[in-house]
Formats: sequence, C-alpha cells, structure tokens
Amino acid sequence: MRWLPAFLTASLAFAGGSLAAKKTSEERFNSFHAKSIASSSAAPIKLSDPSYRELTSQPRDYTAAVVLTAMDSRFNCQLCREFQPEWDLLARSWVKGDKAGESRVLFGTLDFADGREIFMSLGLQTAPVLLLFPPTVGPHAVANPEPLRYDFSNGPQIAEVVHTWIARHLPDRPHPPLTASYVAWPYILPIIQSRNIWAALTLISILLFTSGHMYNHIRKVPYVASDGKGGISYFASGFQSQYGLETQIVAALYGLLSLAGISLAIKVPRIRDAKTQGVAVLAWGGIFYFTYAFLLSVFRGKNPGYPFRLPPFV
Amino acid sequence: MSAETLQVLADVGKGKSTRGVLRVIILALIAGASIASRLFSVILDPWFNFRATKYLVANGFYNFWDWFDDRTWHPLGRVTGGTLYPGLMVTSGAIWHALRALTIPVDIRNVCVLLAPAFSGLTAIAAYLLTNEMTTYNSAGLLAALFMGIAPGYISRSVAGSYDNEAIAIFLLVFTFYLWIKALKQGSMLWGALCALFYGYMVASWGGYAFITCLLPLHAFVLILMGRYSTRLYVSYTTWYALGTLASMQIPFVGFLPVKTSEHMPALGIFGFLQLLAFLDYVRSAIPSRQFQTFLWLFAGGIFVLSLAALVIATSAGVIAPWSGRFYSLWDTGYAKIHIPIIASVSEHQPTAWPAFFFDLNLLIFVFPVGVYLCFQELADEHVFIIVYAVFGSYFAGVMVRLMLTLTPVVCVAGAIAISTILNNYLVAKTPTEEDQQAAEAAEKKGTKSGLKSATKPVVGIYSLWSKSLMVASMAVYLLIFVMHCTWVTSNAYSSPSVVLASRMPDGSQHIIDDYREAYQWLRQNTKEDAKIMSWWDYGYQIGGMADRPTLVDNNTWNNTHIATVGKAMSSREEVSYPIMRQHEVDYVLVVFGGLLGYSGDDINKFLWMVRIAEGIWPDEVSERAFFTPRGEYRVDGEATETMKNSLMYKMSYYNFNNLTLEEAFTSENWIIRIYKVKDLDNVGRDHISAAAFEKGLKKKKATKKRGPRVLRVD
Amino acid sequence: MLRSSPLLSLFAFLLCWGAALVSAVSTTGNRLLAILDDVGEKENYSKFLGDLESRGFQITYETPKSESLALFHLGERAYDHVIFFPTKTKGLGPNLTPQILVNFLNAKGNILQTLSSSTTTPNSLVSLLAELDITLPTERTGLVVDHFSYDTLSAPETHDVLALPPPVPVRNDISPLFSAGAPKDALLAFPHGVGAVLGPREQLTPILRAPNTAYSYNPKEQSEVLDASDLFAAGQQLSLVTAFQAINSARLVLLGSAEMLQDKWFLAEVATPNGGKPVKTFNREFAKRVSAWAFQELGVLRVNWIEHHLNEVTAVNESNPHIYRVKNDTYTISLSEYAYDKWSAFSLPANDVLQLEFSMLSPFHRLPLSLDKSQSTPEASVYTVSFKLPDQHGIFNFKVDYKRPFFTNIEEKTTVSVRHMAHDEWPRSFVISGAWPWIAGLGATVTGWVVFVALWMYSAPPTDKKNKVGSKKTN
Repeated sequence: MRWLPAFLTASLAFAGGSLAAKKTSEERFNSFHAKSIASSSAAPIKLSDPSYRELTSQPRDYTAAVVLTAMDSRFNCQLCREFQPEWDLLARSWVKGDKAGESRVLFGTLDFADGREIFMSLGLQTAPVLLLFPPTVGPHAVANPEPLRYDFSNGPQIAEVVHTWIARHLPDRPHPPLTASYVAWPYILPIIQSRNIWAALTLISILLFTSGHMYNHIRKVPYVASDGKGGISYFASGFQSQYGLETQIVAALYGLLSLAGISLAIKVPRIRDAKTQGVAVLAWGGIFYFTYAFLLSVFRGKNPGYPFRLPPFV
Repeated sequence: MSAETLQVLADVGKGKSTRGVLRVIILALIAGASIASRLFSVILDPWFNFRATKYLVANGFYNFWDWFDDRTWHPLGRVTGGTLYPGLMVTSGAIWHALRALTIPVDIRNVCVLLAPAFSGLTAIAAYLLTNEMTTYNSAGLLAALFMGIAPGYISRSVAGSYDNEAIAIFLLVFTFYLWIKALKQGSMLWGALCALFYGYMVASWGGYAFITCLLPLHAFVLILMGRYSTRLYVSYTTWYALGTLASMQIPFVGFLPVKTSEHMPALGIFGFLQLLAFLDYVRSAIPSRQFQTFLWLFAGGIFVLSLAALVIATSAGVIAPWSGRFYSLWDTGYAKIHIPIIASVSEHQPTAWPAFFFDLNLLIFVFPVGVYLCFQELADEHVFIIVYAVFGSYFAGVMVRLMLTLTPVVCVAGAIAISTILNNYLVAKTPTEEDQQAAEAAEKKGTKSGLKSATKPVVGIYSLWSKSLMVASMAVYLLIFVMHCTWVTSNAYSSPSVVLASRMPDGSQHIIDDYREAYQWLRQNTKEDAKIMSWWDYGYQIGGMADRPTLVDNNTWNNTHIATVGKAMSSREEVSYPIMRQHEVDYVLVVFGGLLGYSGDDINKFLWMVRIAEGIWPDEVSERAFFTPRGEYRVDGEATETMKNSLMYKMSYYNFNNLTLEEAFTSENWIIRIYKVKDLDNVGRDHISAAAFEKGLKKKKATKKRGPRVLRVD
Repeated sequence: MLRSSPLLSLFAFLLCWGAALVSAVSTTGNRLLAILDDVGEKENYSKFLGDLESRGFQITYETPKSESLALFHLGERAYDHVIFFPTKTKGLGPNLTPQILVNFLNAKGNILQTLSSSTTTPNSLVSLLAELDITLPTERTGLVVDHFSYDTLSAPETHDVLALPPPVPVRNDISPLFSAGAPKDALLAFPHGVGAVLGPREQLTPILRAPNTAYSYNPKEQSEVLDASDLFAAGQQLSLVTAFQAINSARLVLLGSAEMLQDKWFLAEVATPNGGKPVKTFNREFAKRVSAWAFQELGVLRVNWIEHHLNEVTAVNESNPHIYRVKNDTYTISLSEYAYDKWSAFSLPANDVLQLEFSMLSPFHRLPLSLDKSQSTPEASVYTVSFKLPDQHGIFNFKVDYKRPFFTNIEEKTTVSVRHMAHDEWPRSFVISGAWPWIAGLGATVTGWVVFVALWMYSAPPTDKKNKVGSKKTN
C-alpha cells in the first residue's frame, strides 16, 4: 500500500523523462518542479535511469540535488533507511516553502533498484550518496559543472545538517526553512516554535515570581494602602510585608534592568553605526544605573539599616 | 590608555597554560573566599545532627543505621536510623576517620562546624563546572563560582556551625546537575552513572532531592516536546534513572517511595515514555516513511496521555500515594494553611516577599533574566535545562522562603552568563574595523537565521573606548556593591545563630542575649538525666543536644498527633493539661517568653499555631475562635479572652506567675526562657488548688457546711 | 560538703548497722514523740507506752507549749513518729501548725492521733484532719453512743462506752491485720470516744467502724434532744479508728478514744447488753496492732529486687537490659512483708492479685504475676511473669502498682526502651517462601543477561557477500 504512490511517481517520472528528452533547461525545470509541487508527497522526485539523465543533463540553469540510495532490504543498508525520511522531509519542506521555484532547486531520489545502470556508470560501491549538481548556465552558474558530493562518513545525518550544507552551496538564493510540520498546524506551530514568545513568557514568569507575586497570591495582601495622611503608601514598611502595587513596581524595575542588561549584552554590540552605538551604550547604561540606584533606595526604605546607595538617590 | 596597551595587558593571559594556572588560582581563591565569608561567627546548630554524628562516630555505622533514639519524642522514641537522611553524618564521619587515618587528631565537633564552609567551596567549583557547560566563556564559570561562593541566599544555610543537611546538599545538587548536563551532552553511560551516584548521595543527604527527581524528567520531557529526542537523551536519562532510583531506595527513609508516591512519578513516567520513544525510533529507522512516523508519534502521544490518565486514576484509587503534604503545598498554596498547620507553622515555609529576593541575591536577581534570555540564543539541550530550572526554581522560591536555596545556583549560573557576556563584549581591546563592519553587513544580508529577534544581526563589536570603559567601570562598581552587600548581609543577618540573640542598645552597642544557652545549661546541671522536658517543638533539637534531656517533640515534625498533644497541653486549662503531662511523664515545661524584652519570636506569638494544630486533632476540645476577642483580635493584654487567660501557655508566660500544677524552676536573665517544674500528685491526696491554699495558710471551709447531700462512703 | 574518706564511711556504716541492730523495731526509725498536756499524764498510759518501749521505741515526752519542741531539725525530721494524746489547750502553738504536720507526713513521719470526748480537739489537728478529708463533729467534740452495744459494766446509763468485736476488713481483699488471731468472743472497749466521718479519698480506710446503731452527738448542746438535721453522723459512716496512708506511705491513725489506751481499759472487763458474760478487753492487743501499723511495724512491704531479662534461648541473657527488641521478656519482682521485728515472705491476700503493667501512655499488657516457688525463700516471695513484648517500639515502663489498704504503697516503675528490628534481624529472603518467585526471577534475569552478553560478544556479525552496496557503511 505504502509503496503504491512511490511506484506511481517513479513510473510517471520515467514516462515524463523519456518524453521530454529534448527539452530545454527551462522546460525541464518547469516540468520537474510542477511534478514535485503536485502533491505533498511528490517531492523528492522518484528518479529512474532516464529521468536521472534528463535531470542532470547539461546545460542546466537550476540546481539538482539527488540522493542515490539502496532501500531494498536485500542490501541491508541501515544508513539509507535512516537518511531517507530526513531527505524526504528536507525536499518536501523546501518545495513547499518555495512553490514559485525561485531557488531553482530540484530534489530527486534514485533507488538502486531503478537505476542500476547509473550506479554502475558512477562506479558507486556505497550508498547513500548525495550529489548536488550546480547550474552550468544562468545567474547562478558555476565554473565547475561536476556535482558536489555530500560526506556521509559521519554516520546518519539529520535533515537540518543537510539543509545547511545545501544552503551553503546555494548562495544568493532563498532557502526555505526546514519545517517539521508533518502535523498540520501551520498557524499554531510558528507560535509554539517561536523562541521569542517562549523567551518572553519565561522572562515574564521569572520576573513575576522573583518580585513576590506568590506572596501576594498566598497572603492576599492589599493592593495599596493609605499612608494615614490622605495619600497613598506605595511601599509597605517592614521587611516581611508588601503591597500588590509595590510588587508590580518592583517587577517593572527588574524588567527595566533586565531589558537594559539584554540590550547591553546582545543588541548594542550588533549596532553597526558607531555613533548610534555610543548613544545606545549611554542610554542603556544610564537606565541601568539609575534604575539600580532607585531600587537600592527603595530597598533601603524596606530595610532601614541597609548601608549601600548610589548617588542620585541618597 | 590606548588600545595597544590594553592589548598588551590582554596578551598576558593569552597563553594557554598561563590561563589554566590563572583559572586554578582564581578558583582556589574563590573557594577560599567562600569559606572565609562563612566564618563570621561559629555556633553549632542544629544540635540533632551533631548528636547523630557523635553517635555515628562512637558506635559505628551499623549501630547508627539501626539507631533507636529513646531521648526524643518521649515516650514514642524515634527510629532515627530509619527516619533521617544519613548523608550529612556519614560525610562528616568519613572525613573524621580520614583525618584520623592521616594522623590528624581532630574533634568531630570541628569537622561538623567546618563542614558547611568546606562544602560551599566545593559548591563554587561545581558551579564553575556547570557554567562551563553552558557557555564557551571561561570567565562565566569563574563568575558563577564567585557568585555561588558569596551569594547570601546560599550563605544563609551554610555558615560555619550551620550543620544541617543543606550544608552538603547544595553542593550535591549543583554537582548532580553538572553531571547530568555532561551525561546528556555526551550521551555517555559513564557520566550518567556518575550522575546517578551523586543523585544517590543527594537522596541520602536531603529531602530536597525531590527537586532533582522532578527537574530532570521535566527537562527530558521539554526536550522531547521540542522534538529533540536523541539517543544521548535516552542513554543518559535511562542510566540516571535506573541507577539513581536503585541508589535512592537504599536509604531506609526513602525506601519504596520512588515507586509509590506521586512526586516520584514524573521520573518513572518519563523513563517509560523514553522506552516507548526509543522503540518507536527504532521502528522509524526500520520503516522509512513519514506518514507512518506521524502515526507513530501520535501513537506515542496517545500512550503518554493514557498513562497520565492511569496515573491519575491510580492516585485517586490510592494505589499510588498522593503528593506528600509538604510537597503538595507547593502547588496548592492554600492547602497547607487549612489542612496541615504544622507545615504552615514553620517560618521557613512562608512565601517569600520581594525584599527577601533582593536581600539574598542583590544584583543577580535582575541579571538572572538576562542570562536566561541569553540561553534562548543558542538553545542547546543544556540551555533548555537552565531555562526550565530558572522558571521552576523561581516559582518554588516564591512559594517558600526555604527554597531560595535551590534557586540560588541557577541565578548564579545565569547571572554569570549574562555578566560575562557583557564583559566579553566591552572588555576587549579590539575595536571593530572597516572590514568587520563590512563582514557583518555581508553576514546580515546572508541572513543567518537565529531564533531570537534581537540576535538576528551579527555581532560587530564596540567601537569607542569610552563606551567600553564606561560599561566596564560601571559593571565593576555593581560587582563591588554586590560583594559588599553579600558581606554585609552575611555578617548582619546570617551569622547570628538562633540560640544567641543580638540586639542593639540605644547607644548603638551590641548586646548579646544568651538566655537560651543559659537555660539549657541550667537544665543540664540541675535536672535528672532522664527528666522529660516539654516545650514547643522548635526547641526540641536544642534541648536534646545542648541540655541533653529527653524531649516530647522536636524539630523532626513527623508525628502530628504527638505535637498536637503538646499543643493541647499548652492551650488548655491546667485541669486538662496536668493529666496529659502526668501521662507523658513530663518533669519540666519550658516556654519562651519575650514579654520582658519585647522579643517577638516567643511562644505566645507561635501560640496560635499550637492551638490550630491541637484543634486539627481535637476539634471539640480546642477551638481557635475562643482565643480571639469578639472583635476578632488576638490579644494578650487585659482584653484577652477567658480561654486565653486560662490556657497553660498564657499562665506560664504572663498571667498567673504562680501556677498550681507547675512551679517555677528557672527563669533566665532576660526572662526569655522560663522553666517550670511539674508538681507531683499531692502526697496526702488533695487537689493542687486546696494544697496551695493550705500552704498559704487559708483555712479550709468546714466540710460539714457543704451544700447538698453528703457523700457517703460505701466501703 | 567534705568528701568522706573510705574509712569514715565504713565507720558510718558500722554505726548505722549497730543502731539498726539495737532497735530492730519499726522499719522507719524508733524516735517517738509523745505530746501530752502534762508529762505526768503518761502514767495513765503506762502499759501502752511500756509496750512501745519494749518494742524498741525511744519515747520523748513533750507538752505542746514546750519551747524546745520541734518536729524538724535543720530541715530533717527530728522524730520518726508522733503520738498526740488529748490536750486541753485549744491551739498547739507555733511548733505544731497543720502545715508542719503535713510536712511531717510528706517527710514520711507517722502520726498516731487520739481524741477524747472530754476535751476539744486542738485547732491545728482539726485542720490537719480536714486536709486529709477527715471530718470531726462541729465544735470539735462529740460523743459516740450506742444503745445496743454499750458496755453494761461501766456505762449502763450513759451508753458511751462501746463494746465492739474486733474489726473485720471492710472488703474481702484486705488483709485482716487487726482482728487476726483474736479470740472469738473478744471485745474492744471504746470508752468516751469521738467518731469521725471520712471523705471518699482512697488514702483513707476505717479500721474500726461504729455499729449500725451508734450515733454521735454533742453532750453539751444536744443533751436533751437531737434534731435529725443536726445529726453529725450515725452508723457505719462513723469511723472510730481511722487509718490514713499517704502516697509516700507515711501513716496517720486517728484513734477516736484515747481512753482505750489507758491502763484501766487494758485490764477492764466488758460485757454487751445482749447478755454476754464479761470478758477481758481486747484493747491491749488492738492498741499494739494499731500503733504497730501506724509506726510502720505492720503491713510494711518491701521490694527487694526487680529483675527483667530477655526470655530467649539464643540471646545473651543480660539482666535488666536498658533496651529490648520487640520479642519475649520475663519480669520478676521480689517482695517481703515486715511484722514487728522480721521480714518474711509476703503472701497475697486470698482474693487479691499482683499485676504487672507494660505501658507506654497506656498499658499494652496488664498481667497477673504469679508466685515463683523455686526462687522464693522464707524471707522473700518472688512473683514473676513472662510475656511477649508488643510490636511497638517506644519507651515503656514495667509498672507494678500495688496499693491496698493497710499495706505500703508499691509503685515500681522500671523504664526500658523497646527498639525496632534492626536491619539484619529480619529473616533472610530465602527463608521466606513467598520470596522464592522473586529470587527465581532475579536469578533468571542475571543468567539471561550473562548468556546474552556472552552470545553477543562471541557471535560474529553476518557477512553477506553478495551485498555489495549496503553493508560497508552500515555498522
């Protein structure tokens, strides 16, 4: 059952390949590309002897990445089995991410069973082999038309690594990212997988907890209290008590300090303009300093014996 | 100073061996500093551990293992060997024996006193190792070691003489985490086994081992959810779990808990889940089809959900013990106050107000999120660990003051990462050149995708010397303040042991209040060796250790009923209390009274907890409501309620200084400790009231004037 | 205090021993103080006092007003026993306040107090008795009369000399100390006595109760008519001779009639109204027994030794260990009884049992101790019991609580710890048949693993020659 679509693809590819033997490079790319985006399981294209030759024939204005593999259980090729799903995933997510074909890359798989002649002609003794055929004509053309060979000597390879390898050899072209979206959650997944969102959530919860939110929750402290003179007392007196608003102020101070710290550690060194960078250093450094100084003075209010202070808030 | 001279300075530390030597020296200095900062004052506490260690050293390991202590929890006794974490005592015993074998004659007391500082030095080194696994900057590790060494959050439990389980447990915690990261990164069984070994040591040392037991599976689970299942994870986790669980079950106190109670279930569940994943992974590699794999993953998820449901059912059916109360109260924060007042009564179990965080961690508390954020930049497996640890650690520290201890290591690590990143950016002599700029521009065009928005652009560097020096100088100031803060906190707050109180006189001089030791000494010298002392449990260990007298209850609060009995005796009328005290063969009652000195930590302040705990067992006889005035106030002055005034505790503290069934035996200098002797039954068979009245010379009313019918003798 | 040299302590020991030889009388000492209004009065009691002296007591006579009278000297008892004969003074002065007397009892001193209807009882003694829950008639005097069992010889009109048979125990588990061996028709003369009413306190036991038909009245105020509501007490509620034994076994005897002890009533003959022939009073013997009981010569029990040990064949049979494990145990107690001048084996009253409690907070066992004839001697009887300790660790007490009227209180508490099973005291797993499947499983797993490893190590990987492409990269 599982093999049926693959079989069909293979035969289709075979038929297509024989028919379009004399096509131009542009036509060849279009036909193969159309085939690979036809259905989600069509990429990488299942190749056979003729279609392989067609795909890799020169001149070509596209890149072809082909894996030569031996999936038949007779050959007991563990590495082939392990790599195949990775390769499928890579090809599919690339094709899906680049439906217009802007990257001009085609992915194919040639099984030993379908392409014995090719294996012979290449003199291959081992499998799998990943060949990357660079374009010979067009904007991305390279001087050496010989295919690049991916090194499998490090054991099983995961899609990410191969993706990086391919991307490295395809400069100046879009590189559709690897998506693990075999579960159909195209909208939720980016959110779930967004580091920024997770980082924000983590930092917010840490700030909440370290500013005494749990104390408020358990002790049910008042939000603010009167200072007895008609005004509002923002900070509870005493080391072991606090108000709701007070913790929010403290959390905000901590947040500001952390933000300044993050900016100084990550953002500022990435500013390319020297002048802007200088201003940023001054601004964030100043914010850090004054907030810290203010925090120290607030803390001294809570703990009168505390001896340390920074100038503006003495 | 020009860039060249800076460069020259930087080159001094360039050589690899020079750097190595420098690192070792710095680490040694940090360890030394962390020990030194813990030596402000030295008073041994808690005494129970010391007593247990002495027993271990005197009687050998097997006798210690089977120790039945008949001087605590009178008259129940305590199967001490089976109800304590022996790690601490065994550690100091081993050190003592090792020193003796090296012909260094040393008293076991000295070993006990200096154990915590010594281990804090090791903790600093462990923090260095752990941080080095997180980042490539060596400076981060050194900073982390320094922070760990002097952070007050950790010093609070590890000053010299603070001979408690935490003294060695924090080192074990950090080191176990380090070994776990090492095992996970290398997928190595050896490191996994080492991790399990130290986990076993941790279990033997501190009840807080449950933190590791829950954090490692959580880390593994998060990794799986992130799709980062790998054979490395499988190998390290499986090795750790199998060996670690076996090791933990060797401790009699833990026994079969790892397979029976809920807090150990996550570890077991993830262990099972990993087996399933490993199998599916094998199947996946054998049958290469994405569709089929999708099915398999769904299958795995289904199994996970199903087993979770099975766990819930098993728990509600009682097959698996539910969360232990102490543990459960971490989640349902209102639970303890209602159901287990004994847990809520411990001051260490109170939630943490924000000043405590700042007090214990100072600068680190807000640099900590920066470090966590930096972990998101690379987000390798070990960074996920820091993130998970950070979130849960700060939650727990917020719920319970005591768990500040478990938060401190991750704060130090993350803070060190943050500060070292800043310093590494600003403390470099190199100024970006035109080429760097262009390279960066080119790199940006290439658009190397990093996960974090703020880190999408490539690093250029800092251009101007003044911004570098500004930042470096200000960081130096902050760190200096941190060091001073730590020293100040340590010397002021954490170096006065609970047995000795320090107060400030109006003229600013320090006044030492040594009533506790005075009283314990009195007990030791003036009472029979087997005189039973009744006091609130807070003082049990001290009485047992310093006065060497049997106690009814102590700080090992395992028997709620027995504590409630003491609570009932304290909160009831004398007529009720006296039979209880007779039944328990109490000879002396010890109360802490702060009324004269205005000392707030006295028994009257804790009294409501006694009432609550007693009410939990005898709701018909003790009622908390009766101790509040009609206006709902807790008063101990003239408006105190009748129940309050008649309670034994109140009488012993304030009201009727001459009790009827108790007679004052000793009152310390500042009246903080008052010891009462329980009177015997009257020799001629009177009740204590008439006996006392007779002693005062009051004439007894003539019996013939009794109202009502005369009671006839029947025999 | 100076440390005594061995020689000195030896000397002290010899001295004590010598003293004990001379006065082998009371178990607590022979210094007896008699309080009389007038020392000359003692002639009336010469036989009684002579009996006491012949039993080895050294009697000091004092009047209440005497300056030198002091029950305590430097905080220690100056006398071991005190007799109060009736005095006419209302108060006994500052040396005999009720507080001092209670302290005397608390210090294990014994008191024999006599009353008389002709004199009012001193305040101090009334207060003392009130503390002991003994109530005397109001106005501190009264007279017990009985119109059915009076002495027809001396009080045919006034009926105020009672002629009573020697007392039988009030309960059948009480030893008949005061009547044993009396002739069948013996009669006690109880002349001009005062009856007391006893409270329900367990320390109190009436030795001699008034007959059912007796009552008490105040001859001064109630000579003509006695209103029912003014009746002090009647019948058996009137205790004529009362024994009180404090928790520390100090004894007080309240003798309602001092005249009983006088020589003339020792020698007199009495007869009951229902036509009995006159018999010589039993008073002398009764007075001897009552005074002997009061002064710790009768009914004194002593615990000679207590021993408990593990009752297991294999165990090291250490005696009186401090700690036990949850298992078998034997407890033995040895008791002796004292009578006048010698210790003899104590034998339980016929209907009584001696019990051992093994308790922690509450008794886990309460077992009757049985007489062990093989260990008993004429001087001491040995009671013993063997039992299995409860399966509960803790600090337990072996407790023998034997408190009976007229016998010294015995409350012996021996504290031992019962520990849990040590880790190596449980049966080994191979002894438990239920564990065999698990052990077998263990063995199977170990063997299986070893076999697997062996097979794995020694089996070469499959070499498939025709597999030209796949195999090279695989392993």
